Amino acid sequence: MSSESPTDRASRRTRILSNHLTTSDLQVGGNSLQSNICLSYSPPELHEKIEFEVRKMRELLDVHNLQDRDWLFGLMMQSKLFNPQEKGGKVFVMPDFNHTKEQQREMTMKRIEYLLERGVFDGWLTTRGPETEMRKFAFMETLGIFDQSLAIKIGVHFFLWGGAIQFFGTKRHHDKWLRDTETYRIKGCFAMTELGHGSNVRGIETVATYDPKTDEFVITTPCESAQKYWIGGAANHATHTVVFSQLNINGRNQGVHAFIVQLRDFDGNICPNIRIADCGHKIGLNGVDNGRIWFDNVRIPRENLLNSVADVTPDGQYKSAIQDPDQRFAAFLAPLTSGRVTISLSAIYSAQIGLAIAIRYALSRRAFSFVPNEPEVLLLDYPSHQRRLLPLVAKTYAMTCAGNYLKKMYVKRTPESNKTIHVVSSGFKAVLTWHNMRTLQECREACGGQGLKTENQVGHLKGEYDVQSTFEGDNNVLMQQVSKALLGEFIAAKKKNKPFKGLGLEYMNEPWPVIPSQLTSDILRSSNFQITTLRLRERDLLNRFAAEMSQHQSSGVNKEYAFALGYQLAEDLGRAFSDRIIFETFLNDEGTVSTGPMKDVVGKLRSLYALTCMEEDAAFLRYGYLSTEKAAAVRAEVAKLCSELRPHALGLVSSFGVPGAFLSPIAFNWIDSNAWSSSSA
Amino acid sequence: MISRLLDLFLAYEVDPNVNLIILKGNGRAFCAGGDVAAVVHDIRKANWKSGAQFFSKEFILNYVMATYTKPQVSILNGIVMGGGNGVTMHGRFRVATETSVFAMPETALGLFPDVGASYFLSRLPGFFGEYVGLTGARLDGAEMLACGLATHFVPATKLSLLEEALHKVDSSDSAIISAIIDCYSQQPYLKDQSAYRRLDVIDRCFSRKTVEDILSALEKEYMDKADDWIKNTIQSLKKASPTSLKISLRSIREGRIQGVGQCLTREFRMVCHVMEGKLSKDFFEGCRAILLDKDRNPKWEPARLELISEGMVEQYFSRMDDEEWDDLKLPSRSNFVLPGHAIAKL
Repeated sequence: MSSESPTDRASRRTRILSNHLTTSDLQVGGNSLQSNICLSYSPPELHEKIEFEVRKMRELLDVHNLQDRDWLFGLMMQSKLFNPQEKGGKVFVMPDFNHTKEQQREMTMKRIEYLLERGVFDGWLTTRGPETEMRKFAFMETLGIFDQSLAIKIGVHFFLWGGAIQFFGTKRHHDKWLRDTETYRIKGCFAMTELGHGSNVRGIETVATYDPKTDEFVITTPCESAQKYWIGGAANHATHTVVFSQLNINGRNQGVHAFIVQLRDFDGNICPNIRIADCGHKIGLNGVDNGRIWFDNVRIPRENLLNSVADVTPDGQYKSAIQDPDQRFAAFLAPLTSGRVTISLSAIYSAQIGLAIAIRYALSRRAFSFVPNEPEVLLLDYPSHQRRLLPLVAKTYAMTCAGNYLKKMYVKRTPESNKTIHVVSSGFKAVLTWHNMRTLQECREACGGQGLKTENQVGHLKGEYDVQSTFEGDNNVLMQQVSKALLGEFIAAKKKNKPFKGLGLEYMNEPWPVIPSQLTSDILRSSNFQITTLRLRERDLLNRFAAEMSQHQSSGVNKEYAFALGYQLAEDLGRAFSDRIIFETFLNDEGTVSTGPMKDVVGKLRSLYALTCMEEDAAFLRYGYLSTEKAAAVRAEVAKLCSELRPHALGLVSSFGVPGAFLSPIAFNWIDSNAWSSSSA
Repeated sequence: MISRLLDLFLAYEVDPNVNLIILKGNGRAFCAGGDVAAVVHDIRKANWKSGAQFFSKEFILNYVMATYTKPQVSILNGIVMGGGNGVTMHGRFRVATETSVFAMPETALGLFPDVGASYFLSRLPGFFGEYVGLTGARLDGAEMLACGLATHFVPATKLSLLEEALHKVDSSDSAIISAIIDCYSQQPYLKDQSAYRRLDVIDRCFSRKTVEDILSALEKEYMDKADDWIKNTIQSLKKASPTSLKISLRSIREGRIQGVGQCLTREFRMVCHVMEGKLSKDFFEGCRAILLDKDRNPKWEPARLELISEGMVEQYFSRMDDEEWDDLKLPSRSNFVLPGHAIAKL
């Protein structure tokens, strides 16, 4: 890359090294205005222009509860509990990951108590409605920006335990538990996953048997594979749990049901007939006390069955308004969608943190010169560096809009929209969390060695967020569920000869589109071309998937096995569906921006998002949606868009609204923060 | 005066004969603040823009000071209020004495803590900045040092020696200058009644989300333990303009996560809205009651906190609805190699 000859390089090194030696004692008394060959940190704020209003762009991304978010950021920044550290004249807050897992867990709990005292959780379970839900989402996103462990620990308590009481329970449970949960008088956890069963919840082995003589259920862990596993909060703090268990009535299994069991007394002692063990140290999230639970014939009152879907009478009769066990199970899981919503959003905010750090670093760190003896070049002025980071910025923008769409849809949910929410949240959860992991890895590499330091976040966050592709449904399984749902729509429409309706598939009622034969820059950047191409892929993959399924089934393969065989198309289709909806939500939000510099930038981001999707997925070439020439045109346009967005890079990452204190030292004055004078720690 | 100061600062920055700048008051007070009465007079005579222009210059001066390449030593002898803090708090060294009196009393005037106060107040420990900014509480030199508004405390009797020593410095190195001031510095006694000793109560109450929540938290504290300091705190909040309180709180909260340039730009928008008087006329009423008629009985409008919606507050933070009016234009500082402490403020 550098045109320097080895001798040039050697002499430059010597010059710099000798300069270090000769200026070292001059530094103290020297005039700071004198220029010398040593690098000085040049803050991007001074040399980069921002041509749109950051405040407005942040509104486009954060949308709601901006003051609430800022308040919470401030609560964390101003408290010693959040481990403020001064580096290079700036204060950063970040958990001390040098702590043992026990210390991290205690700190997480202390932070929760502080937030509780300051009123952050007021109304989380005792008031309802869209406003409360949006505020909760905003707070969860903000807390996760500080520390994923903190957000998860709070999420388990409020969304999983609290959510189970709200959604699976009835008035008697609400009255008894919700207020105490909101004030943390009790601490809840959520025992669903077992050692032997994760995504396949219906296969869990824990059993609850009704004993009509005492009006009690008896909960049992019949074998080692039935131990509850990964239960957040169980290892140290939880006093209560929701247990998912097979319900056995008079020798008949009624399927999975949820029960409340007390785990610890108020002094923290584990209750009789319950055994709890630690899950041990993890690659991340060590601030969450994940535990394992065994139930040795634990007796609980009949009222502890969460009975919104089904109930058991005192004499042991099973009653449910939903007769079909499949539907009953679905009714059970539907409310848990909120988990996938919060995970999707927290993944996106993590990607924002990573990109803000990597881009800010790339706007202040130089390497190599194009011309000998000229100043070295800013990392972000290398087209290759732009290509690595800016498409990820564009995707993060698009997916932020997608996340907001998902939130809105969830908050406005109706029984009719449950299915759409399930499908969309499954697809988004998978795509957004994968995007985050990929982004963090790219950011880590883009920050070079500095990315390896825990204090610089980008590397460390990978461990903290890796779990996201697994919990609340394995990403691959979720993608297959998306494709299964799409196939269902396809078959229903074909069989009944009715038009497609819902999931944004209405376009399939139109004739197949034609991609223009010449892809000029204007066409490539038109939303019309972009949406048409993304839809073409989804539509064709769905047709192919349906054809493959019917082929398998006509050759005598059963439906489930046919799905397993069709995994390649299923995963491609799941992605095509998600990419298309993400694009549509981004395009829709772009439409709300009034004409001006900000709209121009958003339009470029939208084009970069769409064209990057096309460039990255081999399906466009494999199935010929784009010819090789057209694919080359797409690639060239991606590079062009990157260079056009380069001048806006600082504004784009500033608009993420993540305060500097939540980024890292390399995002700011990394020379001062590494100076000898600040190396005492 | 602001224009003169700005010219001097800009000239001294490139003057190789100047190593540091000493800023001090002439007389008993350092500076009791900008001439607000004159601004009101200007606006009455011409229009709000002439008033706003004054602030534009003042804020640009504040920005230059915050990002200055040479150390500024301000000697805070006597009263330092409002605009006086704007020309000192952004500088590298702030020397308090036993005669220092600090206050940002704008909420009582129908204004809000400006001159970059949303930057420097929000960076005080805990929620002390909210307390100082909303109540207009007065701090003495010891308190200023304790909370970080002052970097040094030097007894007034030693000031002339300090100045002499500083005149002899042949360096712009902050460490050297700091060491010189250290030679004359003392650790003052923080009085038992000091608000800074009540930081736990301040944190509990002033960390609340809204002004209403802060007030009710204070009232709850007062019910638990009746105490003059809490009573006075509640009273100063109740006397202040409700609109001022709300926009001030939001300004400090936003300021906490913004750089000094962003803070000043945002405050400039706010100040323009205040001068324009479309959203509220509290500033003019405050000036009438405190500075002109001196009846100390302002009639705020809206008169109660609960009458001011979030939407009304929001308007103060939006761009002026005027084609010919621009946001604050900060001078470019990219030609200078800024010292680390200035870079950290961006």
